[in-house]
Amino acid sequence: MEPFHYLLVLVACLAVTAPLEWVIGARVYRRPRRLALTLAIAMTPFVIWDLVGIARRHWDFSPRYTLGLDLGGVMPLEELLFFVVIPICALLTHQAVLRLGARLRPHGRLAREAQHLGEAPATRPRCEEGARRA
Amino acid sequence: MPEYTLLTVLAVVLVVSLDLVVVRTRLLATLGFWLTLTIMWVFQIPVDGWLTRLDAAIVRYDERHFSGVRVFFDSPIEDFGFGFAMVLATLMVWTVLSRRSTGAEQRRPRRAAAGEPSSGIGVHRGG
Repeated sequence: MEPFHYLLVLVACLAVTAPLEWVIGARVYRRPRRLALTLAIAMTPFVIWDLVGIARRHWDFSPRYTLGLDLGGVMPLEELLFFVVIPICALLTHQAVLRLGARLRPHGRLAREAQHLGEAPATRPRCEEGARRA
Repeated sequence: MPEYTLLTVLAVVLVVSLDLVVVRTRLLATLGFWLTLTIMWVFQIPVDGWLTRLDAAIVRYDERHFSGVRVFFDSPIEDFGFGFAMVLATLMVWTVLSRRSTGAEQRRPRRAAAGEPSSGIGVHRGG
């Protein structure tokens, strides 16, 4: 079980956040192109930072707790997946926060933010009134 | 300053500047971002702790390259700056792409026509 320690925590992150998409109605997985593009653009600098950290010996990875599939001989597969899983969790959380907030208070601040961020809830016209009043 | 500490500070400054000044997504001015960050940080405590706890460390940090301050389950405090930068960068790029998507393009003129005052989110820039 030990070689799966890193992979398991990533799977756990995806499992815990999955209901945000399928129950609360965040639309992250259902926008696969936008998701892929976001990951590619936003995470490239962080992967480079990680590679710099490895090269400069800021950190390394325990062979005991990783699968041993090292990409390019330097970065464990799990570490690359980290930069896929964690941003997905962040996006799902943000979407869920906006949606729950808009549901709870249709004219509240989160509802307006959802509007402005292009995440239109069902009650769009009235929210725009709310935004004008504010 | 240790290198990881320095890189963390630089990353935070850079991402904050992008959000507020360069890209002007201004997520830092939104309640949604701060709620998201709070939730992400709370979950980062056990997740990062699982990666860094010294009795079974998956990721092993060289003490010479960070502040030496470990919090919760032996996580270098810099990790939370790394997390902040990652969350903000991710939401920023997603927001920019959302704006440019067809739906956002269609909504924008309607809002402008309604005379909506500019809010703190800055989606109006660039029409």
